[in-house]
Amino acid sequence: MNVYQPFRMRIEERIDETVDTRTLRLKFLDEDVAQKFDFKAGQFGEYSVFGAGECTFCIASSPTRKGYIECSFKTIGKVTSAMKDLEVGDVMGFRGPYGNAFPLDKMQGGNVVFIAGGIGLAPVRCVIWNVLDERNKYKDVTIVYGARSVGDLVYKRELEDWGKRPDVKLWTTVDPGGETPDWKGQVGFVPSIVEKAAPAAANSHAIVCGPPVMIKYTLPVLKKLGFTDDRIYTTLENRMKCGIGKCGRCNIGPVYVCKDGPVFTAAEMARLPNEF
Amino acid sequence: MSTTTFIRNEDLKGLVADLKAAGVGVAGPARTTDGAVDYRSIDRFEDVVLDAQPRTSLKQFFLPPTEPLFKYRREGSDVAILEMPAVQPPRVIVGARPCDAAAVEILDRVMNWDYKDEPWFARREATTIVAFACPGGDRSCFCTTVGLAPDSTRGSDLLLAPAGDGYVVEVVTPKGQKLLDAFPKRFGAGPGVDATKAYRDKARASVDGHVPGSPEVIRQWVQTHFEDPFWSEIALRCHGCGGCAAVCPTCHCFDIVDEPETLTEGTRRRNWDTCQTALFTVHASGHNPRHDQCGRCRQRVNHKFAIYPSRFNEVLCTGCGRCARVCPAGQDVTEILTRIVAMATGQGGAA
Amino acid sequence: MTELRELARRLLSEGTVNAVLGWEEGPRGARPAFVTDAAGADRLIFDPRCVHNLAAYLSPRRPHLKQLGKVAIVLKPCDAKAVAGLIRETQVPRENVVLIGVRCGGVLADPESTEPLSEATVADRCRGCPDREAKLADHLVGTAGPGFPGPSHRAQKVEELAALPADQRWAFWQAEFEKCVRCHACRQVCPMCFCERCLADKTMPRWIESSPHNRGNFAWHVARAMHLAGRCVDCGECERVCPEGLPLGLLTRKVAQVVADRYDFRPTDDPAVPAPVGTYRMDDPQEFIL
Repeated sequence: MNVYQPFRMRIEERIDETVDTRTLRLKFLDEDVAQKFDFKAGQFGEYSVFGAGECTFCIASSPTRKGYIECSFKTIGKVTSAMKDLEVGDVMGFRGPYGNAFPLDKMQGGNVVFIAGGIGLAPVRCVIWNVLDERNKYKDVTIVYGARSVGDLVYKRELEDWGKRPDVKLWTTVDPGGETPDWKGQVGFVPSIVEKAAPAAANSHAIVCGPPVMIKYTLPVLKKLGFTDDRIYTTLENRMKCGIGKCGRCNIGPVYVCKDGPVFTAAEMARLPNEF
Repeated sequence: MSTTTFIRNEDLKGLVADLKAAGVGVAGPARTTDGAVDYRSIDRFEDVVLDAQPRTSLKQFFLPPTEPLFKYRREGSDVAILEMPAVQPPRVIVGARPCDAAAVEILDRVMNWDYKDEPWFARREATTIVAFACPGGDRSCFCTTVGLAPDSTRGSDLLLAPAGDGYVVEVVTPKGQKLLDAFPKRFGAGPGVDATKAYRDKARASVDGHVPGSPEVIRQWVQTHFEDPFWSEIALRCHGCGGCAAVCPTCHCFDIVDEPETLTEGTRRRNWDTCQTALFTVHASGHNPRHDQCGRCRQRVNHKFAIYPSRFNEVLCTGCGRCARVCPAGQDVTEILTRIVAMATGQGGAA
Repeated sequence: MTELRELARRLLSEGTVNAVLGWEEGPRGARPAFVTDAAGADRLIFDPRCVHNLAAYLSPRRPHLKQLGKVAIVLKPCDAKAVAGLIRETQVPRENVVLIGVRCGGVLADPESTEPLSEATVADRCRGCPDREAKLADHLVGTAGPGFPGPSHRAQKVEELAALPADQRWAFWQAEFEKCVRCHACRQVCPMCFCERCLADKTMPRWIESSPHNRGNFAWHVARAMHLAGRCVDCGECERVCPEGLPLGLLTRKVAQVVADRYDFRPTDDPAVPAPVGTYRMDDPQEFIL
């Protein structure tokens, strides 16, 4: 078995998130592999449909929940279109986990602020579950999540769960014009809702994932609130093939996203050339 | 000093015959159908051409232009994976250029970076590289700038240099020794390394000084000049054809694709790819972080002279000059590097 | 050469164009040059080493026209056919380019060559070429040698291949395509390969397998030759660039012959001559349809 050969995974469940986004719950076919498999929040993998090819996503489930992994994807290219056509019970491939992770050990004992936009909630959701499953290790947990419209919000059932929890401050928002008559959340862009939520910066870490434009306007808000660049994290996506530092595709200047990332601090991001 | 022995021209022919008789694959630089010289499978040593640089490099023997990573077969909703052989048949490459042999060893670094690339190392283990000291190069050769030489032993198992009626054989690795031990009658007493000095000196003189600077000076400039107008200036000429990457002994970027062969069966393959095309980095969404040829020209220089050295402490280039020879638009790597050195040392800017 | 440099200098200093695309002396012989100021006009050269077809830089796939604005381009008669093709196919607005024709009696096979132009060293495609100057040009400079008699070796090889039984022809191409590494350099340098997204790069569906095995290689080279039917100007750049030395000109030449025989179209530098692919005549041969 060479390093490019995937584990075989059976689709246990399909959850339709939005009109073009779906979550798949995958279980290892090989019980031995399932037992040994471990990963850290933030790591990614190469998911594949045999005959269509491989595609890179984060692992969207939490390492605290053993026995399965989940991925959420938007149907956009060849592989994701093929993934959409798979049924429960079908077998697909997975290589991983690859890359670095969110430094949860550094965050323990402090507050955590999660900020996400659109499908960017997938890598954040992994950390949210990890933190909530070990809730006593953390202080305040704030989640700000926005999408273009109510229909574009992913993980709706979980948003409902988090909203009900007294130990989570959840702010959901949709872009102006994206609301429905019965929408109870906020209306406005993510950066302005972060400003409104105003999480305390002292003893806090922030994780920000979403479209580049959202990240661009959220960073100054966080700075204004007192977050320093080395306590703000995000994940980068670049086209990848191997995921293990060989195929040469994911360079941003000197950085290999697959090996040095996908998790970067805002301070590290600021040093990168504009090639992502 | 490594041990040396001698092989006569006649015995070299005999050695190739012995290897073939023993079922070992033999490859070397030979004429192609269009009259060029390239590495290819050979039946006899008489076909080996040593006075011209092969058109492409040795990398094809370790990272083939296309190779199956595994095959799959659907069985209902299940999928069976058919593994590729983990061991490769033995092969000896006779007449490798030292720059090409060195490239393979340089690539061992990335191919073993935390994850071992088994297909690469299976071929590495099965292959013995018999290099011949280079007779000298043209104006685009600059191996001595990147720490190599026309007679460097890096990556070779044996290094041969001509003397008298044969070649002085330097034993570089245990694998080279093993080849000697397998065919002891073919090797024997003869002139020592000293007899090859004039040949080696002449070769070195022909490649020295074509890039008047050190890799370190180049690395520092490249690392600190990502946005320099120099990149767009050189990109103007570039067609983005990727010919440079195809003939390069160290360009190793690849693609992974699935190819169905029937409705239920197919192969996942690894294919050569190049940073010189737009397709290399474009996201499924259509966003392309490296959106112009300027970025692509920079990436090739950056990867070779800054990124690789910062990771593995060596330049991802052997100074073979093939990229300059193949370029349909006359882009010459020695010119690019010389300009960079000049800018780094304050003796010139973008033209 | 003085004439060429003076013209370029004038066009640049008067502001008629922002850049002149021509040839210069490079480290390894002649190579494309981009001259953006009058002082740089002295870099321009034209001699038999100027084999490159610069029209490729005008292709809408390339950023040059957008980046440089109005340009002048130096053209051999054969290169002018490619520019005419781009104009014919509405890819280059005629008013955006000033065409400087250089009179030509043949070029060398190799831009690095130091040999004089002779029967032995001339580029094969120049054998039998009747064109000495581009009629399309706005300016004409230089003088032309007498040219070289045809037929070209390539034309002869095409006939030889056509005379072979199908299985031998198949074996010939099998062996040639075997060498292809699918770098697509042939496409990249081709002035007429200007598709925004090439057929070979499409994945949904994947029309042409991207792996360099003979299945994908056949599909690629045959598709490319067919897409160049009635469009290829026989500049030979695909063959010159190929890092594996594939005789790609044989394919395009053969297709060009078929187009000439059946549709009476030969590459021309007159953009007003309609493209055979874009026109239909009642008497077009079409027995292959039914």
